[in-house]
Amino acid sequence: MSKARAAADPAADEGLTPRRNPDLTGQDEAERLLLEAWNSGRLPHAWLIGGAPGIGKATLAYRFARFVLAQDADGDGLFGGSAPATSLHLSANHPAFRRVASGGHADLLTVERQRDDKRNRLKRDIAVDDVRKIGPFLHRTSAEGGWRVAVIDGADRMNVSGLNAILKILEEPPNKALLLLVSDNPGGMLPTIRSRCRKLALKALSEDTVVKLLMEHRPDIPADDRPALARLSEGSVGHAIGLADAGGLELYRAMIGLLSGLPRLDIAAAHAFGDTLTRKTDDGVYETATELLVWWLARFARALARGAWPAEVVPGEAALMTRMANARSLERWVEVWEKVQRLFARAESANLDRKQVVLNALAALEAAAS
Amino acid sequence: MNITIERAALLRSLGHVQSVVERRNTIPILSNVLLRAKDGELSLAATDMDLEIVESVPASVTRPGGTTAPAHTLYDIVRKLPDGSQVELDISGDGALLTLRSGRSQFRLSCLPVDDFPQLSGGELKHSFAVSAADLRGLVDRTRFAISTEETRYYLNGIYLHAARAKSGGTDLPVLRAVATDGHRLARVEMPLPEGADGIPGVIVPRKTVNEIRKLIDEAADRIQISMSENKIRFGFDSVVVTSKLIDGTFPDYERVIPVGNDKVMEVDAKLFAAAVDRVATISTEKSRAVKLSLTRGTLTLSATSPEAGSATEELEVSYQDGPMEIGFNSRYLLDITQQIEGEGARFTLADAASPTIIRDVVDSTALYVLMPMRV
Repeated sequence: MSKARAAADPAADEGLTPRRNPDLTGQDEAERLLLEAWNSGRLPHAWLIGGAPGIGKATLAYRFARFVLAQDADGDGLFGGSAPATSLHLSANHPAFRRVASGGHADLLTVERQRDDKRNRLKRDIAVDDVRKIGPFLHRTSAEGGWRVAVIDGADRMNVSGLNAILKILEEPPNKALLLLVSDNPGGMLPTIRSRCRKLALKALSEDTVVKLLMEHRPDIPADDRPALARLSEGSVGHAIGLADAGGLELYRAMIGLLSGLPRLDIAAAHAFGDTLTRKTDDGVYETATELLVWWLARFARALARGAWPAEVVPGEAALMTRMANARSLERWVEVWEKVQRLFARAESANLDRKQVVLNALAALEAAAS
Repeated sequence: MNITIERAALLRSLGHVQSVVERRNTIPILSNVLLRAKDGELSLAATDMDLEIVESVPASVTRPGGTTAPAHTLYDIVRKLPDGSQVELDISGDGALLTLRSGRSQFRLSCLPVDDFPQLSGGELKHSFAVSAADLRGLVDRTRFAISTEETRYYLNGIYLHAARAKSGGTDLPVLRAVATDGHRLARVEMPLPEGADGIPGVIVPRKTVNEIRKLIDEAADRIQISMSENKIRFGFDSVVVTSKLIDGTFPDYERVIPVGNDKVMEVDAKLFAAAVDRVATISTEKSRAVKLSLTRGTLTLSATSPEAGSATEELEVSYQDGPMEIGFNSRYLLDITQQIEGEGARFTLADAASPTIIRDVVDSTALYVLMPMRV
């Protein structure tokens, strides 16, 4: 989600665009694994970098790509005489960094979802034709004398034809060719692809790290909101920024405020809430709010199953959860959660009136809580 | 950077380099042309990341420097300026704007930094030698028709250029060879090995590069400087330099598919033969394009049949002394090959209906073509 917004307005979080971001925070373990593999001299030719959205997967992929591309440009390692590398970091002034950032590095190919200009959003899939460029690209000699790197950002967005198009090259990679597959959902990819890649799972960032990153990159977000956003985003700085831009925190507060009335909802407030979500069609407020509601219900159900309330994002959450838990059993709440989720999904496909959908979801909650 | 240059010179150079820039490019830097001015020369460079064209033109340079500007926009502007005008290119201090002035017109184009531009020409190319334009044209023209377009055998998507020894009769000469094949036909053309070309690595030059340099050969002066390494090849024409990536693969051992035991020899006038094949092939089906060659002493009968269209036959007088035989070929492949034969006669060396046939020019031994037969 944050990516879609960043693409709509590239200047919005320039410093965090993976291609141009010289820093990566909180993924030291993954970085160490990549370095180890590189220093061993037997680098696996394909990596599947997985993890939640917005935690630095693509940033890590580009970081590693730059590192690998710069190695040979410097003539390092020809006689194995140079010391093993200790960091993937490359200064933003390094020529290889500049060319990777501009998209002008002839030994790097990026495959990602293209923009659909008519609808002004990213296309649903990665185009097969773009995936098919990888084979010929890796079967060309390198322009700068070293490795050739292909980054597939959003690898789970390849359709079946696309996946088949890279199978061959994954099976028989040319010498000095590196494929970096970045995916939010590595488990959803074909086993034939997964089995040919070295898997690298990135962990969510700590809340402190997210707060620190928000401070660095988005000083415009009020300091008081940062910890709440960090908690709400579950350790994803990309998600936190997306939520901040969509006014997610205010929505969340409004939503919890409204739900605090359970088992009785203030019907006037519910209507007002529904109105704020649907004032305009394209501002993403409705999507953010429905996503938050589903997420909150899931969190509640999980916490209920575990028997311990999670740390509060906004005050009053724990009390609300306790009241809801007393009203119905876990099983019943899981049903409600699924029902609400299905309702929102159906609203999209059947193009239902959004305000009615929101009111329906709230009514379902009220019915369950009373 | 501040330079003044004649419109016609700038237009011609821009025309050359902008042809490699793709029209639809999502990455801004790739739609730009790199402009660099120094020592009374403006050099223009454009790339599609697989090959790079650099052209130098004389210009009066008041202040050296460089930038990158949108190639197609710049080309369109210069194209529309009146003939005979002088063009001034000026780059502001921070390099973000290119100002173009000519007569009363003034344009400001936004630029991107030189450092962002792809680097293809870097690195040392160890081997270097010169060939004449005519020789290079001969190598390219007589092989490129056979380049495969099938992506799975990527190593056939180019011309294999390498040094070899030509062994025929008692001679054993070092030659520079160009080979292309798509699995159905093969073209092998050679020329005496130029000085400095011994020890060159065998390289596969991609089809797109072949087509780009073919366009430039006609305008080039007599000598063309070729430099290469395992990774890259560079063609230096007068003022234009093309640097290209290569295909990273192993070209198959083509010598093995050139038959040595073919004993039946047919000689035919190449022009008459091509015309007859073309006529007869009108009947053969669109899909197979097959024609049958029936040989008897002194006579060749070309025939084609198709269930829908009917049939056709044509007789030709040939020199053929062996026993009767029949063999089928794809008419398009036959035409492709016979069109490369510049001399009067083509010599076919055959074995039987299922074996590859060798076709050569009677008077020119530098080119050899192998064609697989079809069952008809």
